[in-house]
Amino acid sequence: TPPESVSPHTLCSFSSCSSWLPQRALLRGSHWQSSLLTPRTSLPVRAQPKKKKKVDVKREQAQKDRMKKKLRKLEKAAPELIPIEDFMTPMKYSDSSRVRSLPEISPEETERRVLLLKKWCLFKQKQDEAEKKAIQTLVESQQEALKELRLESEELYQAAILRDEGLFPFERDGPSYTPPLPGYDPPEGRCVDVTKVYTQ
Amino acid sequence: GVLLTCYRSHRCRPTHGIGRYKYLLPKEAPKKKRERIQMKEINAGTELEYGDINIQMTSYDMCLVEHFAQYVHRLCNRLSIRVNESYAMPTKTNEVLFLEERGSKMQLDAVLTTHQRVIQITGLSSTFAPILLEIIQSSQPEGVHLAMKQHTEADFKSRLKSRPELEELLAQMS
Repeated sequence: TPPESVSPHTLCSFSSCSSWLPQRALLRGSHWQSSLLTPRTSLPVRAQPKKKKKVDVKREQAQKDRMKKKLRKLEKAAPELIPIEDFMTPMKYSDSSRVRSLPEISPEETERRVLLLKKWCLFKQKQDEAEKKAIQTLVESQQEALKELRLESEELYQAAILRDEGLFPFERDGPSYTPPLPGYDPPEGRCVDVTKVYTQ
Repeated sequence: GVLLTCYRSHRCRPTHGIGRYKYLLPKEAPKKKRERIQMKEINAGTELEYGDINIQMTSYDMCLVEHFAQYVHRLCNRLSIRVNESYAMPTKTNEVLFLEERGSKMQLDAVLTTHQRVIQITGLSSTFAPILLEIIQSSQPEGVHLAMKQHTEADFKSRLKSRPELEELLAQMS
């Protein structure tokens, strides 16, 4: 219950009354007391902590609401993909003033180039066909083996066609032109990662 | 003045709808808004089939890795293996510093950029998987590191930008 406020006029009128009143008038200094007859309760003592509790709770609630609102707003924004630097042309290449003029090619040279292109096409075709054939033979031999296994025993066949959990993850480094040099002493150094970090 | 009986004729007047023409034009597709990048459901696969698999090709040479990725993609198309996605991972830049022989200062040797391309396939049968692996390995060029892993949510999250404010708020809330 909020303390009743008493106007200063009533205070003055009370102070001018009978003898016992001046003591009360002194006590009447605080305006928390509504009437002279009621004993002074501990209302003013309670007022301070109550204020703290209420305002704290309200403030905390408001803070939490603000945070939740902020969170909802941030979550609403869709996550973005990191832009790929490979696909962004640097500015210096977009300068259209640089034009390359190609040199004149003699007819023998064009002839040679065309024949070379045809030879290359043939080579690639043979390579591709060989690959297709390799895949086909692999698949065929695998199917034949599985067929034979099925005739041998059904349960082995079922176990064979289950997927291999140990196959993935699989990693392999590409082949190198030359083997590593024996007894090579590399200089001291370190690698620093300077990749640009994008934040949303 | 004389107040005429002002009644506003709209649908009853004879020239109602005289300017209409939009209904005669062919229906145009509704304008597509930029779609939210959402993670597609990760297929776990069955006993006889593998689920979503990422073929990751990493190299310092961008052209080589791009061409190899194109080759692998075309190969999968030819072998009727379903390709979910084919994307590029963000480029990593490394500065290589080395210590001079007669000196104490680190000198910049080179700036290397690592490029990675990923092809996501699904529905690979267990009998065909080793054959595919063999074919890809036989045509693997020099300097290209090949990795085949199962697709996880972490792989998808690594493509997205980091949101430090959101993470901070979440840490504060909990």
